[in-house]
Amino acid sequence: MDFGFTEEQEMLRMECRKFLERECPTSLVRKMEKDERGYPIQLWRKMADLAWMGLMIPKEYGGSGRSFQDMTILLEEMGQVLLPGPFFSTVILGVLPILAAGTDEQKQEFLPQVAKGELILTLALTEPNASYEVAAIRTSAVRNNGEFLINGTKLFVPNAHIADHILCVTRTSDGPTPQEGITIFAVKASSPGLVVNMLDTMADDKQCEVVFDNVKVPMGSVIGQLNQGWEVVEKVLAEISVGQCALMLGGAQRVLEMTAEYAKKRVQFSQPIGAFQATAHRTADQMIDVDVSKHLVYQAAYRISEGLSCSREASIAKAWVNEAYQRVCLEAHQTHGALGYTADYGLGLYTRRANAWKFSFGDTDFHLEVVARERGL
Amino acid sequence: MDFYISEKTEALRKEIAEFARKELPEDWYYPGGLYDFSRDWDFVMEIAKKLGQRGWIASSWPKEYGGCGASIPEDFVIHDEMQYWGIPGTTMGAGGSGWIGQSILAFGTEEQKRKYLPPIAAGEPDGVWCTAYSEPDSGTDLPSLKTEAVRVGDEYIVNGEKTWITAAHRARWCWCLVRTNIDPTIPKHRGLTLLIIDMKSQGISIQPIVDVVGNSELSQVFFHDVHVPVANRVGEENRGWYYVAQALNFERSGIGIGKNVAFIRRFFEKIVSFAKETKYRGEPLSKNPIVRNKLAKLEIEIEIARTYCYKTAWLLEAQGQVPLVDAAIAKVLVSEILVRVAITGMEILGQYAQLRKDSKWAKLNGIAQHFYLQSYAIKVGGGTNEIERDVIARVGMGLPRSRR
Repeated sequence: MDFGFTEEQEMLRMECRKFLERECPTSLVRKMEKDERGYPIQLWRKMADLAWMGLMIPKEYGGSGRSFQDMTILLEEMGQVLLPGPFFSTVILGVLPILAAGTDEQKQEFLPQVAKGELILTLALTEPNASYEVAAIRTSAVRNNGEFLINGTKLFVPNAHIADHILCVTRTSDGPTPQEGITIFAVKASSPGLVVNMLDTMADDKQCEVVFDNVKVPMGSVIGQLNQGWEVVEKVLAEISVGQCALMLGGAQRVLEMTAEYAKKRVQFSQPIGAFQATAHRTADQMIDVDVSKHLVYQAAYRISEGLSCSREASIAKAWVNEAYQRVCLEAHQTHGALGYTADYGLGLYTRRANAWKFSFGDTDFHLEVVARERGL
Repeated sequence: MDFYISEKTEALRKEIAEFARKELPEDWYYPGGLYDFSRDWDFVMEIAKKLGQRGWIASSWPKEYGGCGASIPEDFVIHDEMQYWGIPGTTMGAGGSGWIGQSILAFGTEEQKRKYLPPIAAGEPDGVWCTAYSEPDSGTDLPSLKTEAVRVGDEYIVNGEKTWITAAHRARWCWCLVRTNIDPTIPKHRGLTLLIIDMKSQGISIQPIVDVVGNSELSQVFFHDVHVPVANRVGEENRGWYYVAQALNFERSGIGIGKNVAFIRRFFEKIVSFAKETKYRGEPLSKNPIVRNKLAKLEIEIEIARTYCYKTAWLLEAQGQVPLVDAAIAKVLVSEILVRVAITGMEILGQYAQLRKDSKWAKLNGIAQHFYLQSYAIKVGGGTNEIERDVIARVGMGLPRSRR
């Protein structure tokens, strides 16, 4: 048993932190919120040069073959600085299903390009019913002369506006249970009939509506088995949740540090406000929230890296981090007073994301229900 | 980051479960908390001896002091499993195997180690301890304590009064913080000394305190001209505060708080079983969305509590001590989780929760109300959670102390 990181992992973290300190100041985050593409190409190229996109991709497909644990280290650091761009949607949302269920041919087709930073991917899952349940998947893919026709609407698809391919979770048949009949397709974003509209979201995080109007996809674009896609989606969702938690954990850590710094600097009644117990105790609670988040995320990441069952631990992590990130931000606002309320100060950048991502890939109640099921209730 | 514990250690859990099934009566009452000291003490010590024979009380201590040289995480697993079954006699009073043994190992003399550690490890009556810090006027403001020890020749003469002393009426030895320097110009915490006091000494009287549940595990202890040999001083004179700070860190770590965590694991399982077996509106409680939501939250809290026990055990093993902030976080988390588990457990039982053990209609042997009434004590014991939060903020995040 070991609660520490390896030297190699510590080095990865430090390298990532130094790079992002230099390349991703808050001013860039703000600028990219208003930018249509949403990220600077130059920065993306530099990240590709550091081999970050291929970190988890197996060596035979042009990556470094490192573990999910290592990836969560990168994600945590990225979450600290609110790195804009399609890294998470490409490397986590896009790559994980392909890694889990793609053929060797499909892996050859997508992964080396991802590793080089030359391909952007995303995953289209949620539909207008805004449910996390499989029964909610109604976007249909109907067989038609050796191809499929996809019809339906997907919401909250990150970076669909710049993606080269969109992995779409569809219903290809109606089985006796809703889990049966789900198929994942890798759809070219340039396909006729596929329309992307940017949604205007609280976190300015480039979430899109994607409308499929008789979009034709070849048989070869099925990722995994026909009608057997939900198993893959479920497995990958657990991993995606943990990845999202790593981003959120990083953000919460930064908010904690900002709060402590402020409490040490801001003077009222001739002393730093951090000297007052009410403020100090809020900071202590923030530190506890972040510390617990770390342990739950790292434990889940460990299990994923070791190929152990992780549905329970992934849901424990997301259920906790959802609430913890929100709490940490709220406590931060309390300590910062009116200053934290201004757009300029930068705390709001985190608060807006904390509350948006609380609902990505399963809200708290969804994940609590997974935990209940895993307990056999 | 690797959370694997050895197969050998997991196999030991089975052995301990067998022991519990064999040695404990079928209707063994186990409402969590300390509780041992209100039981049939002869039975408790009978079990303690058997545990000692198996090397389960202090497995991580060096062999020359009665241990088996196991790692601290392994030691924690053993205690975790023993406490899961409610096996009595594992704590050797209040702190014997939890923090006093660790402290003597850390800063006792060789003589003290050889004298005091083996009886603890062996589960003998001479290995039972109580811990005496607080006084009626000195709780959180512990440095203000007044129990005085005056050096006369090769003895200290101790006079004063300690309170909230768990297991005083069972202990052979008292781990006691006293004042040896009454100079009002020095900072109060620099005049304290740690003494080991023989509870059989002349001049000691014990007055039981009855608690909310109706037990008297706690006592007030009066010292009237009690003679304590200088050899019983732990560490240097007037440095007692620093040793106690360390001892408190041990107390807040996995071994110290772990028994509570093991209990809530078991309690949770019983609540889950109850929810599955009990119908409400035509279906098992466990199908009710509100109940599922509550139980899932509990599952997560218990997972957190357990993680911190393992973590502090690992820190102790890796660094020889538990860093102040980690101990503080662990203590705050576990103590507050305990209360939430107790409250939720009662909510699931509903009106049945209030029934005591021997009442008709009592569910779960009446432990829900008993556990609840004991649960919030830990938020103030061993350092109040206010103090812990002060430590986390100041030492953990660098916030300044308030000017007084």
